[in-house]
Amino acid sequence: MAYLELENVSIGFGPPTSRTEVLQNINLSVAENEFVAVIGFSGSGKSTLMSLLSGLQKPDVGEVRLQGQRITSPGPHLGMMFQNYSLLPWLSVYGNIELAVKQVFRKFSKKQLKEHVDRYIEMVSLTPASWKKPHELSGGMRQRVSLARTLAMQPEVLVLDEPLSALDALTRAVLQDEIIRIWEEDKRTVVMITNDVDEALLMADRIVPLTMGPKATLADDFPVTLERPRDRATLNINPEFKKLKMDVTNFMIGMNKEAKELRVDTNVKMPDIKPTHFHAA
Amino acid sequence: MKYKILKALDVAGLQFLDPIVRLIYGEEPKVQLSKIGRFIVIPILAFIAFLGIWGYVAPKHATKSGEVPTPGVVANAADGIWTFHKRENIKSRDYLLAGDRKETSLTEAQDRLASITKAEKAASSKVAEAQSALSAEIASLQAPHKKELAELKAFNKTASNSRKDSLSELAESVSENSSSEREAYLDALRDHNSLSALEKENEKKISAKIDEIAGMKYQPLIDARFALKLVAEEKQFLQKRVEYLSKNNRSEKVAEYEAKLGEYEATLASSSGKELEKTGARILRQEERIERVSDSSYAQPWTFPRQIKRSLMCVFFGFILASMIAIPIGILCGLSSVFMAAMTPFIALFKPVSPIVWLPIALIVVGGFIPDPDKHWFIDSINSLPIIGSYDLNPAFIASAITVALCSLWPTLVNTALGVASIDKDHINVARVLRLGFWSRLFKIVIPSALPLIFAGLRISLGVGWMVLIAAELLSSSEGIGKFVWDMFNNGSSDSFAQMFVVVFVVGLIGMILDRTMIVFQRLVSFDEAPTSI
Repeated sequence: MAYLELENVSIGFGPPTSRTEVLQNINLSVAENEFVAVIGFSGSGKSTLMSLLSGLQKPDVGEVRLQGQRITSPGPHLGMMFQNYSLLPWLSVYGNIELAVKQVFRKFSKKQLKEHVDRYIEMVSLTPASWKKPHELSGGMRQRVSLARTLAMQPEVLVLDEPLSALDALTRAVLQDEIIRIWEEDKRTVVMITNDVDEALLMADRIVPLTMGPKATLADDFPVTLERPRDRATLNINPEFKKLKMDVTNFMIGMNKEAKELRVDTNVKMPDIKPTHFHAA
Repeated sequence: MKYKILKALDVAGLQFLDPIVRLIYGEEPKVQLSKIGRFIVIPILAFIAFLGIWGYVAPKHATKSGEVPTPGVVANAADGIWTFHKRENIKSRDYLLAGDRKETSLTEAQDRLASITKAEKAASSKVAEAQSALSAEIASLQAPHKKELAELKAFNKTASNSRKDSLSELAESVSENSSSEREAYLDALRDHNSLSALEKENEKKISAKIDEIAGMKYQPLIDARFALKLVAEEKQFLQKRVEYLSKNNRSEKVAEYEAKLGEYEATLASSSGKELEKTGARILRQEERIERVSDSSYAQPWTFPRQIKRSLMCVFFGFILASMIAIPIGILCGLSSVFMAAMTPFIALFKPVSPIVWLPIALIVVGGFIPDPDKHWFIDSINSLPIIGSYDLNPAFIASAITVALCSLWPTLVNTALGVASIDKDHINVARVLRLGFWSRLFKIVIPSALPLIFAGLRISLGVGWMVLIAAELLSSSEGIGKFVWDMFNNGSSDSFAQMFVVVFVVGLIGMILDRTMIVFQRLVSFDEAPTSI
């Protein structure tokens, strides 16, 4: 049975007369402890999909279910990691994580609380910066704090909304490895949004492409059968990786072409007019 | 260390000291020197230039209260205010002194009084000297003009007389039927009159010169008079001081009354009947008197520094009241658009109302609650508080504080509402994911995120409150800076005119310190590194 499920989900914005359907007829089922990457172009409604999964938004049609239970509101069991960190700027690294932990584990003693927070700060290797404020940290460090905060809540599902897209390539690689390491240590169900095919192939068990918006929906998925642990150095020459990358990329590009063709009518009839003469009379 | 100091300066809003610190640590001396030139030397030069222009322009304008005071006169006035304050404090202390300390203070005061009496004599003889020097100077300056005037007068007189003579001759010689001759006489008469007027005019010009010399400014005399005034004031103070240390001292008075009481008690022992009744009543009265005197203290007048303290207290009362109203309402406005819609007309309507309108209303309303200030429980209870009580809080004080609050709550209210309403959507999402309840959402997310804007509002509010307060005190006659200005205005002497200038600087300086303090608070609660405006 599916662990996390979306069934015939549609959502749109705007008044009934000029309504924009963002997502239409989305069906997805994620098994327990599966790592699913949703890949799509920008503006295709990826973040809306994540909001649906984390319960921040409710679908207009259809249902989002976790273990058969309908998700109606956000909560710490659906660990959402936001694209732009969403750290509270007046709290230190420790304070940000502590706020979340205090809220989720209300029965913790002071000592337990501190141990728990410190463990997760350690996990993202930020112990030396634990009393710094977010504005004193680099983008990568902030994203790590955000990750630690999400993980410290020990959610049943991790919902990662383009967690690494705001980072430079090097920091990104480091954090990718870190997320995989943590996931392998402590298996969870993960749904990650990304726009990077390599990243998806490196991290996920399955890639689900999101078609171009509006009225985006999920296309057929690509199972990633590459063996773990995946080594980014040797992956580039792995024939299976190359093939998958080709398939996914071609699919995405094809979709992009289709969408463009759909949007702009290329068969506009030009009026049949010709200049009669160029010479003045 | 260096960076700690720099950081502290930055937080305290004293960035202009930054280049000095850097220079001490030897960092890029050239850059630092040019910064010192720009941010320290130029402002100082500008201020000196301002003083120069002020000192030059001020004496050119004469008013009913004398000339507009120059910087030097204002500095003397400030010194005078301070001396008066110190002396009143000494008197108030002296009144309560008893025993040996009283005796030593008394001899000290008497010694000083003896020497100051001599100094007064010296000063008054100096004034007399300066006066006679001035008279001599005036006389010598006037002498040539006087001579000229006398000569002119004599000359004019002879000229006038000869003209008159010729006119009489002409009048005699006019024949009976000749109208043209009569006309000629009239013309001659006209000429004579206009010539006489001209001569008078010339005489007047010289007289005016003489008068001008008589009214000349003579700096040694002004200085001598000022010195005499200082000495005379000190003498008067010392005389009073001696009184408060001897016959008007509290312990002396109590001793005196107790001696009387002893007498009465002796009489009581040997009296009966009518006399017993009389003496008994006397004893009771005397006991009451002793009790009253031994609790009494010197009735200190309101000196300017005490008025400043009372004004500060008033502005803080008003400011705290304003914050207690504005912050909660602002938060509600920011949280609920319905509440905001309900409040908008009130904010728009009451925000522009002048303190001059609020104050009489506040006075009447407060007066309604406190009909008899001497016997009201609220006034009594606040006046029995330790430090606050010595400032004699009354309904006028409360009305002024309420006026301050009514005028200064708007910036805080509007900024708080804005801060709460413009909270980052991501932070709200965090709160939703964490399932924070209403109160923890309010105190852990909403208020911290709005705090920088709330403090920006509080800073503006305090500035507005400080400005409003002085007007309110002036109108309500609540002891404070405003009352001081009003008293000085009604006093109308040139000295009090200078003291009003002192008030300008004191008010400005205190306002600046309040503003700086708020900037420090604002920076402490700001989480983004954006610098706060000056």
